[in-house]
Parts: sequence; C-alpha cells; structure tokens
Amino acid sequence: MLFCRIWGEKGQAALEKASICLLNCGPTGSETLKNLVLGGVGSITIVDGSKVEVGDLGNNFMVDESSVGQSKAECVCAFLQELNDAVKAKFIEEHPEELIETNPSFFSQFTLVIATQLVEDSMVKLDRICREANISLIFARSYGLMGLVRISVKEHTVIESKPDHFLDDLRLNDPWPELRRFAETVDLNTTDAVVHKHTPYIIILVKMAEEWANTHGGKLPSTREEKKQFKDLIKSKMITVDEENYKEAMEASFKVFSPQGISPNLQKIINDSCSEVDSNSSDFWVMVAALKEFIASEGGGETPLEGSIPDMTSSTELYVNLQKTYQAKAEVDFLVMEQRVKNLLKKINRDPASISQANIKSFCRNARKLAVCRYRLVEDEFNSPVQPELQKYLTDEDYGTLQEANTLKVLPENTAAGLYILLRAADRFAANYNKFPGQFDGEMDEDISRLKSTAVGLLNDLGCNGSAISEDLINEMCRYGASELHVVAAFVGGVASQEVIKLITRQFIPMSGTFIFNGIDHKSQLLLL
Amino acid sequence: MIKLFKVKEKQRELAENANGKPPIKKQSAGELRLHKDISELNLPKTCSISFPNGKDDLMNFEVTIRPDDGYYMGGTFVFSFSISSIYPHEAPKVKCKTKVYHPNIDLEGNVCLNILREDWKPVLNINTIIYGLYHLFTEPNHEDPLNHEAAAVLSDNPSMFESNVRRAMSGGYVGQTYFQRCM
Amino acid sequence: MADSIPQSRSRDLDKLLLRPGNLVGPTFEAGSQLRDDIKECVRVLVIGAGGLGCELLKDLAFSGFQNLEVIDMDRIEVTNLNRQFLFRIGDVGKPKAEVAAKRVMERVSGVDIKSHFCRIEDKPISFYNDFHIIVLGLDSIEARSYINSVACSFLEYDSDDIPQEESIKPMVDGGTEGFKGHARIIMPGVTPCFECTIWLFPPQVKFPLCTLAETPRTAAHCIEYAHLIKWDEAHSGKTFDPDDPEHMQWVYSEAVKRAELFGIPGVTYSLTQGVVKNIIPAIASTNAIISAACALETLKVVSGCSKTLTNYLTYNGVEGLHTKVTEFVRDKDCLVCGPGVLIELEASVTLKKFIDLLEDHPKLLLTRVSVTYRGKNLYMQAPPVLEEMTRSNLDLPLFELMGKTPRDIVHVTGAAGKGDKKQSCSRKLRVIFKGMVGVTDMDMAGGA
Repeated sequence: MLFCRIWGEKGQAALEKASICLLNCGPTGSETLKNLVLGGVGSITIVDGSKVEVGDLGNNFMVDESSVGQSKAECVCAFLQELNDAVKAKFIEEHPEELIETNPSFFSQFTLVIATQLVEDSMVKLDRICREANISLIFARSYGLMGLVRISVKEHTVIESKPDHFLDDLRLNDPWPELRRFAETVDLNTTDAVVHKHTPYIIILVKMAEEWANTHGGKLPSTREEKKQFKDLIKSKMITVDEENYKEAMEASFKVFSPQGISPNLQKIINDSCSEVDSNSSDFWVMVAALKEFIASEGGGETPLEGSIPDMTSSTELYVNLQKTYQAKAEVDFLVMEQRVKNLLKKINRDPASISQANIKSFCRNARKLAVCRYRLVEDEFNSPVQPELQKYLTDEDYGTLQEANTLKVLPENTAAGLYILLRAADRFAANYNKFPGQFDGEMDEDISRLKSTAVGLLNDLGCNGSAISEDLINEMCRYGASELHVVAAFVGGVASQEVIKLITRQFIPMSGTFIFNGIDHKSQLLLL
Repeated sequence: MIKLFKVKEKQRELAENANGKPPIKKQSAGELRLHKDISELNLPKTCSISFPNGKDDLMNFEVTIRPDDGYYMGGTFVFSFSISSIYPHEAPKVKCKTKVYHPNIDLEGNVCLNILREDWKPVLNINTIIYGLYHLFTEPNHEDPLNHEAAAVLSDNPSMFESNVRRAMSGGYVGQTYFQRCM
Repeated sequence: MADSIPQSRSRDLDKLLLRPGNLVGPTFEAGSQLRDDIKECVRVLVIGAGGLGCELLKDLAFSGFQNLEVIDMDRIEVTNLNRQFLFRIGDVGKPKAEVAAKRVMERVSGVDIKSHFCRIEDKPISFYNDFHIIVLGLDSIEARSYINSVACSFLEYDSDDIPQEESIKPMVDGGTEGFKGHARIIMPGVTPCFECTIWLFPPQVKFPLCTLAETPRTAAHCIEYAHLIKWDEAHSGKTFDPDDPEHMQWVYSEAVKRAELFGIPGVTYSLTQGVVKNIIPAIASTNAIISAACALETLKVVSGCSKTLTNYLTYNGVEGLHTKVTEFVRDKDCLVCGPGVLIELEASVTLKKFIDLLEDHPKLLLTRVSVTYRGKNLYMQAPPVLEEMTRSNLDLPLFELMGKTPRDIVHVTGAAGKGDKKQSCSRKLRVIFKGMVGVTDMDMAGGA
C-alpha cells in the first residue's frame, strides 16, 4: 500500500479507518473531499439535497453537462469514487439543514463531519449535536472572495506534533551517568589527528563542561563572559583550524548552559485538571499523568529522554555507540513510564495492558512536544466573542506608511475581521430577507444599506459599538452576492482538508480559532474569539 | 491588464510582419555569473584552463594542474568542470579525469574538497575552487580520505607514499591498480 | 425555484466580473466585455502538469480562461495518483500534459487546452512570448530560473529606465513542501524577479564525499555513497538514471549493504528515492491551496477584479495555521530584470571603441571589460586562452558582432570605480544603434 511520507504508515492507517460525512457538495465541499479521497480516507458520506443546475457547471469539477437536473450528491459521489476505488463512497439526497433538525443522532456514526456552506443558525445547531456526541466537526465556507474555516471539537490531543524546528534532547546541561562514563572512554588529547577530528561534539561538550565545573566550584558557565570563556576553551583544544567537530561544538555550546527542566507549555499540560485521571480519562491523559509522576520522581525535573541524536561530524563507530547510549537511556525511561502507566490504569480500573507499548514509546519520544487544542462552542463564540480580541482585530490600523495621493487605496489591516463581521451580518440578513445581500441584480443599493444596518446591529450586540466597517467592504460583500467561486472554494477546501488530515492522523497541530480567508490581498487572519 | 494585452496583440502582429527576428539564445543567470568568474580568472602558472567546446561554451571546461612542489611535482592532472544554469546557487561539478593515487581523490575521479560540497557558498568562485584543487596536490591530507589505502599509507609511511605516488605518476601498478603515466 | 432567465454557466464568476466594486484594480471595467475578453483574448501558459499543474488547469478553467496551454516533460507514475487528481491507474505511462489537458476539457466545457509533452528548453523563446501570462507549477529551481529569464527577456525599458507596461510578461509562481507552500506574483520590472530573491530557496544539503566514503552515520549517507561513489565504480561509463527503476533498485540494495556493514538503521526504498531524486514530499491539500491562490491571482492580474497579492504569500500548516504576505523588493542591479544602462552608439563603433567608451561612461567607469552577447563571448580579458580567441573581434563593429540587431541587451564584466575602491562587477547594457531602429520600436505604443 502506498502511503504518504509525511504522515507515515500510522497516519495512513488512521485515515483508512476514518469515516467522514460531508454536508453540501458545492465546490467547497467537493474540493475538500477530493483532497481527502486522494489521501486515502476509509469512507465518505455526502449529504446534499440539491439538483445540479447549469450554474454549477461553472464552479464544480465533480459535476458535468450530463448531470444537470440530477442529484448533486450522487454525481459528486460517483466522481470521487472514480478517483479512488478503495474508498467506500455513499450519498444521501437530503438537505443538511433538515437532517440537523430531524435526525441529530445521524451524525454520531462518523469520525468527523465537514459542514460546508451552512449559515449561522445551522452551524450552531450542528455544533451542539456534534459536541454532545463527541464527533469532530469542521466548518468551511466560501463567500465571494472570502472564506471561513473553523474547527469545533471539545479537545484534540496530539502526541506526534512534528514541529519543524525543535531543539534536540541531548541533556548536555545535565548528562546522565552512562553518558559521562561513555565520554570518559574518549581522550580529547589524543595525538591521532584522525581520531581528534572525528570525536563527536556531544562528547567534546560533556568533557569540557566537566572540566569547567571542576575548576569553577562545580558550576556551569552562566554569565556572558563565562560563556565566552567556555567557547574559547573549546577553541583552544583544536589542533587545526578545519576541525568541523570543534566548530560544531562551539556552535552547540549553548546547549551546555541552557536551562534545565520542562517548557512552560508542557508545564501547563501536566498541570491541567485532566491529568487527575479517572476511568473516563483518555489514553493521552493517563500517559500525561504518568509523565507528571515521572518528571517529579525518576526524571528529576525532566521528561523521558527522546533517544535520538542529530547527525554530526564523527567517526561511524563513535556515532553509532553514542546513538546506542541515548537509545539505552530512552529505553530505561520508557520502562519506568510503562510501569507508571500500568499502575495508573490499574488504579482507575482499566486493563493495565490497554495502552500499547508502541503508544507509550511514541508518547515518551514526543513528551516534550505534546499539544492540547480546545475549541469553544461556535454558539459561544458567536454570542460572546472574546471582547478585547475582537476590538483589537476591528481596530483600524493603517499599514503605517502614508499613501501618495495618486496611489490606490490600501486595504486596512482589519479587513479580515471586517469580513468576519460581514459574513455573520450576511447570514442575519438572509434570515430576515430570505436572500443574501446582493444575491440578485438590481437590488444592490437597498441591500448595501440593509447590510450596513445589519452589521451595525450585530456589532452592537457584540458590544463593539465604537467599531465601524468600511463602506467599501460592505459594498464588496454585496458585490459577492453569496457567490461560490471555484478558486476560493479550492483554497478554503484545501485548508479544510489539511486540517482534517491533522485531526484524523493526530499528527501536526491543527489551527486554533476561526480562519478568515481574505482573497482580496491574501492578508488572511486567524481570529481567536 | 487586459487592455494592454490587446495592445500587445497588435504589436505582435506588427512585429511578425517587420524584422522581428526571434532571439537566438537565452543566457541563464548562471552563465552570466560564470562569465564574470572566468573573465576575472587569475591563475597561478601551475594551472591552466581550456574550453573544449570553444569560446562560447563556458559552462564546460577543463583545468590542468602541474604541481611544482610536493609529492606530485612534475605530474599533470586534468579536471573537468560542469556548471549548472543556476550557478552559483549550486556548486560546480568537478571530476578528476586523470587517474591519480591520492588520499582525497578516488579512482573514479571523485574529489573530496569541502567547498565543492558542504561548504560551497555563492560568494565563492571558480578561482577559489582551482586554488583549492591545487592545494590538494601540495598538501594531501589523510584525515578526510576518499582513497582509503592511499590515506593509510600517507599517514603510516610517508616515504612509501612518496614512492607510490612516483610509481603511479610514471605509469605503473600500486597494489592491484594500474595508473597511466601522467608526467 | 425555477429562474425565469436561463441560468448562466458563469453564475458565480459573473458577480465578480460584471459588477463594479471599490476594492479593485485601477484598470477594472466590469461588464460582459471583460468576461468575453478573458475567454477569447487571453492566452495562459501553465508550466508543469503535476500536483500543482493539474489543480491550476482546473482552477484557471473555472476562472473563465478558455485558451490554456500546458507544458510538461514527465509521464504519469503510480506514485502520482495519490495527489494528482486528473490521473487514473490506466493513465500510468502516458504524458502528464496530455492526460491533464484532456481530463479538464472533458469536464469544463468551452475550455481549450493545448498540451506540450517536452522540456521547457525545447520550445523557442518566441513560444513563450505568445502568452499573456505564465503560471508556474514546478518543483525545480532550475526550471523556475529558466522561465524567469525567458519572461524577463521580453521586458523593455524606456529611456528613463521605466519598464514599458506592454512588454511586461507577468508570472505567477507556486510551490509546496508538505504542509507548507508559497505563491507569488512576478511582474518583471515592477516586482522582484526570481533571481532578485533566489536566496529564498535554501540550497540543497550536500554531504562531504569523505563522510560518505569513510564515516557514514545516517541512512542518507549510505544512500548517497551508493549513488555518488559506488555506482561509478561498478558501472564504468554508464550514467545513473534516476528514472530507471532498475538503477534505483541497485542503489537501494547497495545502500542497504552499506548500512548493515556500519550498523546504521533506516534505509528504505522510498527514502532512497527521496534522497537521490531530492524529492520534496507533496500532498494534495497543500497543492490545492497554493494552486488556488495562484489561479486567483492570475485572474486578478488579468482582469483587475480585485487587489492583487503584493507580492509573496507563504502558507504554513505544520503548527496551527500561519499565512503571511511579504512585499519583497527588487534588486535594482539584477542582471535578469533590471533596466541596465542605456548606451546609444553609432553603427560604426568597433568593439574596441565600445570598451573604451565604458571606461568613461559616468554610470559605469568600467575597466578591464569583457563582453558577452546572447551566449557569444565577444571579448574576454582573461584567461589568456580566451583573450586570444576573442582578440580579433576588437576591430569589428559591434553592430556586426550583434548580427545587425538594432537594439539589444549586452552584458559586460569588469572593474568599476577608481583607485583602491575598484570592485569587480557585472553590468547589463541596453545598446541602441542610432538610426537603425525600425518599425519594431516600442515608442509608438508608449501612450497606451
């Protein structure tokens, strides 16, 4: 089986097990699902009650001439099936709004629900249903040149967050006894030039730190001056100027005096109330509880060792043995963690073997990079957004530079926030007038003033009385007239599918907040409301 | 821009009717930079350069080094250079065409020189590389070997290394390997 | 909900193109004429029919463009199917450009896509001048650099070093790597070209050969050893072909042997391919995001229906979601897109005279000058071998040496400045021969 190098075999297996429901299969929905079907999700269910119209031929790749008049869900489903015959593809010809009203239990069968092009009222209702059933939910909306993507799930925990840049776990600031002992077997004063220039920097730094401590009352360099002296000391050990390993040692010397202990982020996780586990706790939190114990006892303030080292100038032999030393320590830490996990499971009346060794191992390897994401209910965001944040986003800060009189108007920096307010105002507008602002030609002027007063009303309700939305933006929103442009749908659908992959594979960190796509000048924004 | 496109359309027709000869060849950014490097070459008398494809192909050339000092004095060693169109974003590809008994050059002509691989930077130039290559002959080093056996001999028994180099350069066997005369 | 008026196929796009707006480009003129012009008059070239290219063709077709062409030299492989949605298992082995064009034409009526199954270098430069805008869906720096230099070669400046609008060949470029990507607009002469900002692309990591030979430590070291050293040893003369699965298999098995010998874990076939071909892992969702941004910007550049991206968008979904727009600035002295220095000459001026002129030219003050013109080295100061070969040109008129081209770009290198402050440099010169410029002169269109 082919799998993607990015999320690996485990991620692929999670995708293949996933069962996904799509609400509305206009271009936003079908493009989202297309990317997931290509990625190899297990099964899809498409819910859409509409028939294919001529206008759909201009924005949806998954319908064609011959589909006009037929069920859109059926046509899109057939096309997606063609893309990947391993996917179990189903469709239901029904309007999602009706399903939300009449059959809320329908949604509990899925791993994840992708809700596209829903208006505010249906979003709020569906969100409550999915939250109750503990189903992951993602909203995606394309509207003219703007879009919205919002994840809603009570809690998403990540072990393999795979950050791009993360400091390696070498423990040079506090080497454990075996590493010290290993370093002792190497002589930095060797006269063999080949050996000298192939001694890995880990060993150089462990030995130099020890040498320093011995002459400085057991302390490591701490002041700027001392750190410089420490670097000079390393430099003094070079035989020739081109010894890469010593250059690497100087560059990595900060690892010797970096602060010990865990990051504030991890501190927050182990202090979370969820780390007080009971029989309802997830595997993740049981392991966090074990980690908390480990850090407080065997770890001496540190997490289990990650157990891998980066490539560095070294002879093969020293490098491989160094690798083994790190792996051995990681294995010891893992066994302690495993025991602690088992004990905790017993305590909460679960099968002590119910969390697999592989999972505990992966947890240990990634202990420093854990992530917990929590999302507010959409209803809460809509009714009581985080006030100071919203004010901040709405504050019009010009781009700073004064524009020349003859150059074009520059978009204010609060455009994304303005679009967010206007999209919500458009939904209120639709609830009142049974059409979207600017949906039909010839009613533009009226719609513009109506949308403006709707937006003002909404801002009042949100407690942002002082804020104003630019006339140009209101105008622009009416110009969009609820159109679903293919390129905007492809962008929004791409974002949504990327987030779905992160949620399902439990790898990488999903976005927080509400993403507002600004297709005018691409200054999109995440609003943390 | 759509109006401009229409203007362009007209021009295109005009151009085609007139003497709008299409340009013959496009010089890449790499070629332009190499042109600068080559026109500024300042080689020691022990090194020379030649262009087998003539004066208009600078992207492929050969450098001949005749060391006047050290183990390799009297030998003649030819290196081929092949330059990428995105030079200097990418380092030149250099191979030694003369089979040589050398700790840092293997029998296939691969050269272990840091500025050709991990330490290449766009501010370096062809002159730097040629000096680097020359340096390899005056000061071969056994610490970064590509020809392991030669490196071991250089490290353990420099006089034997010297005689091996002599034997190879005058055409003959060192161990199982035959070297063509290059003196 | 039956509409009385028959629905337009471009129902959604019409809102953007037929309605006036305030947040639009300076030249925007809403109306059905605009929509028709996009359909009929605008020719768009898509470079690459891979992950980005497939998306681009679809996105552009739905953005109202009906004259598209696509160029790609690759054939479809099984491993493409998990992200290149236009290809099916039965297409494996067929040219990507052909299949992609066919599939999009099947589903989006009215669009015409001409495919070119060849290398970008195989096309004459004039081929590229035929398009109004070029959209790049590539994964190689070399190819980007090539197209950039071609597009910039059409650029003309007026006597005040202002780019002539009608000579600007806009490019929209996208690229992805895993969950990350970028999209940018290049307006030669206005926004930075690819060479102005080539530093944005980190150079590929190259391991020292002696590490590979003597002290391998990682799986990648073992693979590169098999690929760069062992291959030549075992196959004297035969060049390694990364697209030949047998060659790849050989490298893989050699790498495995080497890894076992040194006790190094982690050599797999897919890693071997990744290391040897320097494959940047790509996924469908990121390709979709970046292509959509590129297609949207293409539509905006052409129609003016909204503001445009100024000028570089980065997208990063690894940790949360981050997007950023950066306005990069041009390198004024860029040899590829910069105006260069305007030099007007009599047709009788010899190369020697020309070189002397540069020494006194207030903007240049160049000494030790070498001259190159469209790949022909007219005069080289050094090395001696080239000096000898080019010396005879010195007495010939430059006009003759330039094939009697009335106006063109010439590149020179030399030492600039005076006294101790001499610095070596390259300069682009716009050479015009007085009285030789014919009807092709752009001045007549200057008022547009």
